[in-house]
Amino acid sequence: MKTLADLKQIREKAQEDMKLRGANTRIKIVVGMGTSGIAMGAREVMKTFLEEISGRNLTDVLVTQTGEKGLSSMEPVVDVIEENKPKVTYGNMTPEKVKKVVVEHIVNGNIVSEFVVATGN
Amino acid sequence: MQDISLHLLDIIENSVRADARKIKIRVINDQAINKLRLIIEDDGRGMDEETLRMAQDPFYTSKEQREIKVGLGIPLFKQNAELSEGSFSIKSEPGFGTVITADFALDNIDRMPLGNLKDTLLGSIVGHPEVDFSVKLISRQKGREQSFHFDAAAIKEELGGIPLTYPDVIEYIDHSLLEGIQNTNMEDV
Repeated sequence: MKTLADLKQIREKAQEDMKLRGANTRIKIVVGMGTSGIAMGAREVMKTFLEEISGRNLTDVLVTQTGEKGLSSMEPVVDVIEENKPKVTYGNMTPEKVKKVVVEHIVNGNIVSEFVVATGN
Repeated sequence: MQDISLHLLDIIENSVRADARKIKIRVINDQAINKLRLIIEDDGRGMDEETLRMAQDPFYTSKEQREIKVGLGIPLFKQNAELSEGSFSIKSEPGFGTVITADFALDNIDRMPLGNLKDTLLGSIVGHPEVDFSVKLISRQKGREQSFHFDAAAIKEELGGIPLTYPDVIEYIDHSLLEGIQNTNMEDV
């Protein structure tokens, strides 16, 4: 059984971690979760990001989900936002594409241009 | 939408867009009365009668009314509940919030499966750290009741400032939900 005591351990570990590496969020990922996005597989896209973050132990990435983004024909849609860089929007995302974006863009810093549907704000 | 959990996700996003800070979700699998019931209650801004009526009717929405457009999500959810000998109700009060109750007859051949409840909840809880989710799963069969309660507020308090997207926290929430879903027999509903 998962208990609140397990959380205390996680908190202590995370606090140590943050002392060493700082508490900064380097990248923010926003998954579009409007009705059409959900129908096109956005839940699985969100799940894959969470699995990758957890599996690769990425402590400086934040993932959130949001309602309609107005790009219905390209759902599921994902924004990758880094400080001082133009926003990158990926479209027609699948769990496989998410894995590629995590390795190439989130970890190694190279935009996966073939999946990009918009850039800037 | 292929399953009930996807409708649930859609309703959660409506609540978030209505600025809800607390979202209560109950899923009740009651074999004794052959009913699968979902109740989603939020403290968002709520809707007046006119908006509520439009929210349930696909023909009342249009691009000109975009600011009050709720979309097809609610009409589709309602239709899917009613198609399986179920029912759907939505009550709302401006300034107080909205409650949706959807019932499905468990043994109806047209009923959609409950689907991947875990991923719907995990994504919503982690993806909306500003919202306190309270999830209760209840299963009643052969005179036995089993329940599971997940309280995001308690978890956030225990975590202090550690974000919900911290890798170990994602894993913790994922495992808690999985255990709860298994213990209440919600995997293959």
